[in-house]
Amino acid sequence: MSARDRILERVREALSDRETAAHPGAFEGWRPTTASHPVNGLVQLLEAAGGEVVRQPNVDDAAAWLASFCADFENSAVGETVPVVLHPPLPLGAPDTAPLGVSMARGAVAETGSLIMDARDGRRAQLLVPTHVVFVHTRDVYATLREALIDLVDDLPSAIAFHSGPSKSADIGQILVKGVHGPGRLVAVLIDGET
Amino acid sequence: MSLKGPAKYREEAAKTIHEKPEVRASITAATRTFDAHRVHAWGQIDADRWRDWARDVKTHLLRNLDEYLEQAEERLTANGAHIHWAETADDALAVLSEVVHAHGIARVVKAKSMLSEELGVNGHLEGLGVHVRETDLGEYIIQLLGQPPSHIVGPAIHLSVDDCRSLFSERLGTPLDAEPDELAAAARDALRAEFLAADLGISGGNFLAADTGTVALIENEGNIRLSTSLPRVHIAFVGIEKLVPRLEDVSGLLQLTTRAATGQPIGIYTSLIQGPRKSDEVDGPEEVHVVLVDNGRTKLLADDAAWEALRCVRCGACLNICPVYRQTGGHAYGWTYSGPIGAIIAPGMLGLEEAMPLPFASSLCGACTDVCPVRIPIPDLLVHWREQAVQQGLAPPTETLGLKAYAKLAQSPELFGTANSVLRHMPLQLGGRALPVLGGWLQERSAPRSSKKSFLQMWKEGIE
Repeated sequence: MSARDRILERVREALSDRETAAHPGAFEGWRPTTASHPVNGLVQLLEAAGGEVVRQPNVDDAAAWLASFCADFENSAVGETVPVVLHPPLPLGAPDTAPLGVSMARGAVAETGSLIMDARDGRRAQLLVPTHVVFVHTRDVYATLREALIDLVDDLPSAIAFHSGPSKSADIGQILVKGVHGPGRLVAVLIDGET
Repeated sequence: MSLKGPAKYREEAAKTIHEKPEVRASITAATRTFDAHRVHAWGQIDADRWRDWARDVKTHLLRNLDEYLEQAEERLTANGAHIHWAETADDALAVLSEVVHAHGIARVVKAKSMLSEELGVNGHLEGLGVHVRETDLGEYIIQLLGQPPSHIVGPAIHLSVDDCRSLFSERLGTPLDAEPDELAAAARDALRAEFLAADLGISGGNFLAADTGTVALIENEGNIRLSTSLPRVHIAFVGIEKLVPRLEDVSGLLQLTTRAATGQPIGIYTSLIQGPRKSDEVDGPEEVHVVLVDNGRTKLLADDAAWEALRCVRCGACLNICPVYRQTGGHAYGWTYSGPIGAIIAPGMLGLEEAMPLPFASSLCGACTDVCPVRIPIPDLLVHWREQAVQQGLAPPTETLGLKAYAKLAQSPELFGTANSVLRHMPLQLGGRALPVLGGWLQERSAPRSSKKSFLQMWKEGIE
């Protein structure tokens, strides 16, 4: 008998005289008030967590914003799913040395203020850079985390991560510091419109 | 410094309070902050409904644990992950040895995981000659000091900024007056090199969704994402009680856990890991191992009352609110899991005799159950274990003797009357010096005046 079978047998033995217990159904995020619009909720929570939020009416304006933002950086690491029009006008750098990383989020979650980062975009450019710029289309903002997870299930990569602010820690004397391991600066660029 | 085992609880607790009063100050300040954040975060939601829902999901999970374990195994295997089952800590460590040998692992980075503390992962790796580095800032600090974590969520909350300053000055060469952000930057640099050089990343798992085979991990620093993304092999140790029926259920549990732990709507980084890197991905581990660990959990499940403790999501809210934990922090408890939750799972997982006297390390005030996000009836379970301890002759002799003496008194009206009269004539006015137990308490308080007549006498004479 394997360890697996012995563990399962002990579990079944423990449960043999227990009553059944039904699953309570969907988590509906019960709360007295919610944001007037999902995008507003997203902005509010990202900023409360120390993130920066930029809104652009379309991709072209987002590209123009990026060009001016890039002036302070020498090179950048770029995620695999970032469309060419949103590549920074900078030499390409390796994620472990680049001062800037640019990624494309698969979507965002208003309820938790999170950007949905897909492993197919490349994990290193999302994590090793000190400043992380993340593009997300406002049409891809989910109202709740549950809706996002239900939608993601159909197409799961090896890893998904929700980024909900800059890296932080209060492990030294309960004093908050930013950028401990992940990016200390997170800039979410919300793009409205279709083109 | 290593944990001394629950048996030394009283001794270690007294030592902490008398010899290291600064620990109590640090722990109390940190836990009060955690709890204030929880209160604020729960004020923004219908916390009672969230907690009912979470309790019911975990109860449903535990009642069908065998089926969900099989489903998770099937899904993770389909995702390309390797599944291992470990009955004991030794089994889990044997899996670790296998992976280390198969891949010629020389350097390991570790994400914060209480289960890995329970299993003794670091000591085992060092024994294999493998370099292992904790990467959570708090865990890194206590690893450098050779200490175990003192709190489930904040492993280094017993230390002050000055403690960290002198440690970092000695180990990383930072100035003695460095500010916390300079200290953190020095740790970031030192640990960045470790991440880039490591062959193996080790994590725990906050949840494991059975329907998708997803290991969910909560953090704020990014070290868990790095530990599970950079090295070519990732091992996740997951307790069998960490399963969740569906990935969509993880949505509620993630949010409730962080709101209970630190008051955040969600952790800064939440990882959802399905398996090894796929062909259309540029990075990520080539191999992922998930070790499903029993190590006493099925014993707890078999207990008709204490199984409820397996709903625990390890948020630390019961530690933060506990007036007993706040006096000493976690080290005195002598075991990986301290505070109220530790005191109710230790007897089930370790055996009651080894867990003594932890079920008695509580005033039964009930604050813990009021804040538990999955509504574990902690005081009821403390009483449950105390009853078992008395039945098995394991209870402290004073407790057993006291109860026996009271039983004798209460069964004899004459004796009861005599004892009553003696108590009423105790010279409490003398500052309580005649009563050793109350002596200290009465030094700063005026003693109550005893009634001349007993309640029974007054009852007989007619109470006006």
